[in-house]
Amino acid sequence: MIDLMFSPKWFYGKDIAIDLVAIIILTFIAFYSIRCYRLNKKNKNYLSFAASFLLLALSFLFKILTNFTLYYYSVETRNLGFITVSYNALRSSDILFFIGSIMYRALMLFGLYVLYSVYQKQSSSNIFIIFYLLVISVYFSRSVYFIFHLTSLIFLVFITYSYYQNYVRSRNNFTKYLFASFAIITLSEVFAIFVKLNLVLYAVAEIVQLIGYVCLLAVFVMVLKNVKKKG
Amino acid sequence: MSRKRDRTDIILDMLMSVQDKGGLIKPTHLMYKANLAHHQMKSYLEELISKDFMKKIKKGDYDYLIITDNGLRFIQKIREMKEFEKTFGLEL
Repeated sequence: MIDLMFSPKWFYGKDIAIDLVAIIILTFIAFYSIRCYRLNKKNKNYLSFAASFLLLALSFLFKILTNFTLYYYSVETRNLGFITVSYNALRSSDILFFIGSIMYRALMLFGLYVLYSVYQKQSSSNIFIIFYLLVISVYFSRSVYFIFHLTSLIFLVFITYSYYQNYVRSRNNFTKYLFASFAIITLSEVFAIFVKLNLVLYAVAEIVQLIGYVCLLAVFVMVLKNVKKKG
Repeated sequence: MSRKRDRTDIILDMLMSVQDKGGLIKPTHLMYKANLAHHQMKSYLEELISKDFMKKIKKGDYDYLIITDNGLRFIQKIREMKEFEKTFGLEL
């Protein structure tokens, strides 16, 4: 049985819009990275970076599909004595929810791992061990939901730390903003871990995630605009 | 110690050397400005001309190289790519 995690009622549907924004931003940056790879095929980092962003975008797509299976409405009819009442009810489709949530978690963790390995080069034995641990993590997150968010958080902390090191090396404003964007995305995972304590934290996590991804887009646009300005 | 220039760096250096000279340069000057050996210069130049990033023209007794619009657009693309690479820590 999968451990279900619902958002507060007033937030239904809004999380779908937020995840859609993340998908658009991730895909946009991934395709730019592929374009760079076509200009300089020697640098495989572009390709790994694009692959990680596409995996993350795909994972959000599965999250949206999962949310759709949770939120779809059906018209129910009940007889209450001599009155027949029709009303809208939220229904879930268990199989679709199961597949969607497993794919969301697996692709998210795999995407984060690929991004992490862009900055911390991995040996082939390491890749095998981490891949095994990811599968275990996805498996256990079926019953203990926060295992998934904890694993994502660990990856994000290390990725953010890599961006911090890049900022320290370059002392450039854009690298600082990029570090800040990923720090915000990491913070959203901290909120997500504690969703069981209070459902409002789900909305907080989603909103913080939205801020993080919008900042990421802003950094990306600023980088390109700055070159145009200099040129 | 600065890292070894890759192919993209060299192409960018060559195109920017022409741009710095107002879009027109003598081949020998380009060789010195881009810090290339003769055989490297020949091979890169052939590629740049075949891709329509540069053109050879004759002015008086001398051969000159000029940068094309395609070349200018390419400089822009490469500079964007380098900035993206630097910001996201994607250098090799």
